[in-house]
Amino acid sequence: MLRNLQVDHLQVSFNGQEVYTNLSLNVSAGELFAVIGPNGAGKSTLLKCILGLLKPQSGSIRIETDHKKAIVGYVPQSRAIDDEAPIETKDFISLGQCSGLLPWLSKKERASLQEIMHFTDTTRFAKKAIGKLSGGERQRAFLAQALVRYPDLLLLDESTANLDPEAQKEMMELVKRVAREWNVAVIFISHDLSLVKEYADRLMLIAPGRHEISESTAILDQPEKLRQYYRKVPEVDEEHAVPLDSFHDRPLNGTVR
Amino acid sequence: MFYYDFMQHAFIAGTLIAIMCGAIGVFIIGRNLSFIAHTFSHIGFAGASFAVFAGIDPLLGLLLFTLLGALGVGQLGVKMFRRDASVSVILSLALGLGILFLSLSNVQASFTKTILFGSVVGIDLQDVWQIIILSIFVLLALAVSYRWLKFDSFDQLGAQSAGLPIRWISIGFLLLMAVAVSVTVQIVGALLVFALMTIPAAAARFYTQSIFGMILLSVLIAVLGVWFGLIIGYYTNAPVSFFIVCFVAAAYFLGMLYHRFTERRRIAA
Repeated sequence: MLRNLQVDHLQVSFNGQEVYTNLSLNVSAGELFAVIGPNGAGKSTLLKCILGLLKPQSGSIRIETDHKKAIVGYVPQSRAIDDEAPIETKDFISLGQCSGLLPWLSKKERASLQEIMHFTDTTRFAKKAIGKLSGGERQRAFLAQALVRYPDLLLLDESTANLDPEAQKEMMELVKRVAREWNVAVIFISHDLSLVKEYADRLMLIAPGRHEISESTAILDQPEKLRQYYRKVPEVDEEHAVPLDSFHDRPLNGTVR
Repeated sequence: MFYYDFMQHAFIAGTLIAIMCGAIGVFIIGRNLSFIAHTFSHIGFAGASFAVFAGIDPLLGLLLFTLLGALGVGQLGVKMFRRDASVSVILSLALGLGILFLSLSNVQASFTKTILFGSVVGIDLQDVWQIIILSIFVLLALAVSYRWLKFDSFDQLGAQSAGLPIRWISIGFLLLMAVAVSVTVQIVGALLVFALMTIPAAAARFYTQSIFGMILLSVLIAVLGVWFGLIIGYYTNAPVSFFIVCFVAAAYFLGMLYHRFTERRRIAA
């Protein structure tokens, strides 16, 4: 289990242009932490640094867990998957079970695969090719693949961007359950400030050369503050959001650890 | 038919090569490396020609050149070699080198024919042992690295974000592919490597959506193709490679028709 994610004095630059000069943040287990800001602000860069795909010029990232090596799950906005990709969804999700030398899954691994598929409600399209899934189904499969390794930290990079409002809510409800019930720290990037307001516990506003961490989402109600980060302030459209009741009425099957 | 030693050798070697090609082919298709496999076979032709020129075992030349080719592709990056122009340049260069070494060594035309078109019925017991050892090595390596290879071949972004060493997986796979090509060239020849290394796997994609199912089916198509080629070739005295290609190509086109039929039914439903 994750104890703490600590990012200290991160400095990243591309082609001589600085993305961050001194970025520090701290995320705890069970927390939903949002990262918002305009395109090109360095939001995805932050996730890449945490994943270890990008080396910062200076600063440190520490993921403290109960066990030896932290497991980080990652759900991108999209993946380069051919529409004709013939891989069935169940196989695609089990790709995440990549540790172990035996080619076949153990009994325990098969049980956890079933559990995750049940939890993410991907069982009903388990035999369908991943390339043939709808946007919402595909994102659920991506989430399931990230969860099948039982991550300590879950990173979502605009993973609800291509979904309709209802599917966005369904996805975020699942993510919230992962955070609260599994005690997993979640960092999610989103341009949808309504969604951020509804689900984030804390957030970071980021723009080239500046950033600010807010301890609550109340900052989203301050247009003058948002204007410092966005050229055009996005709307926090609470009225047009799909009511949560419509979602809660549906059963979310599955058990959690 | 099995009374003759050469047919026994051909069946043992051919079956093992078919199993190896059927299995590795699924990953070649998943990683979009079909044309790189084809390029390796031409590099192998240059290697075999060099071996004849240098007076060493052709298999050693094949392995030396294809393994160096794999390291070169791995270092420069696979993406660069997916480009048509890069593949054409390397294919031409490899064929040119092969012709140069052959002309310098003054070998008979039959050797050139064997390397380009293969000679499954011309292999002796020593070749069989070499093929058994190398095929088992490739199959064991595939089995041990199966989970990483599967993840990286079918979802590279997922594999990368899960912290898998994708660069090393890529180089390791290219080296395995180089060994597999070197062994396969002896059976179907440099020009028909596609027949066993990619067509069975490409055909299997039409029939199943499970990765393990694809491997099983691809192996089955490749093995049946080799057996079909050997049996018909024995009775007709025509080239075995031709019948192998015919069988796997038929499996591919039937698969395509089957896929279209099932897709139409799915859409109609």
